[in-house]
Amino acid sequence: MPIFRWEQSWNPLRDLEREVDRLIQGVEFSVQGIRMPRQYPAVNIFELDHEYLITAELPGMQVQDLELTIANGVLTLKGHRNPPVIDDGEIAEERFRRQERTFGEWQRSITIPDRISDDRLSAEFNEGILKIHLPKLEEEQARQIPVSSGE
Amino acid sequence: MSRQHSNEDQREIAHPEQYVFTPPIDIYETDAGLVLYADLPGVSVGSLELQVQDNKLTLLGKVEPQIPEGARPLHREYEVGNFLRSFILSGEIVHSEIEAKLANGVLRIFLPKAPKAEPRRIQVNTG
Repeated sequence: MPIFRWEQSWNPLRDLEREVDRLIQGVEFSVQGIRMPRQYPAVNIFELDHEYLITAELPGMQVQDLELTIANGVLTLKGHRNPPVIDDGEIAEERFRRQERTFGEWQRSITIPDRISDDRLSAEFNEGILKIHLPKLEEEQARQIPVSSGE
Repeated sequence: MSRQHSNEDQREIAHPEQYVFTPPIDIYETDAGLVLYADLPGVSVGSLELQVQDNKLTLLGKVEPQIPEGARPLHREYEVGNFLRSFILSGEIVHSEIEAKLANGVLRIFLPKAPKAEPRRIQVNTG
């Protein structure tokens, strides 16, 4: 029997959206806001034999302005991008002939699979591309459970 | 994963599609000239071509594949491709003194303006 919840009535499509998200993402990863435009940064996720690889384009970012944290199976990427300056001062709006690039703070969270070796995570940042390596845990041995007769 | 899916992946690797993107830019003006910034993630000094011909500045940034062979895509939000954009330079730019610098996937080009000639008083003599 369906149970109607008042607080959800304003967004009847939410459950459907969640379901679609789940289908798109497969079982392993869930990326928040997959169908929302302008989630920054865009990420690609790949699987290799021994690891998962997440890549993101972050042009103009400095390594020291990037922060990666992992907690409870959620990887959070955080950073800020500073706009160009003239002589350490902000560039006056009227000097611009074109402004297409974006600046400021950003944050993104990605749920990662359980079978990741947290302490062997590594990341590299080159030419504006961030690569995060998530090594897979080695397969655990199947463990025999002895069954004793009650006596 | 289904068999059909893995066939698709193989085809992608065998014939990678060539994407060409227009990079986002900023241009601002200073007293000395114009400064142009372009976001070119994945472009290195060796894979960037900058060319001035006639009055046109063209930048072409080639991007190498970012992932090792055999990586299976699980989730894709952006495509990888080359960057191409060109600009018409105004007559006051001194082509021979254009400077470019590439760092962290951002190209900065300085386009110096020719110094304006000082107004010169012309002496008028009576005949």
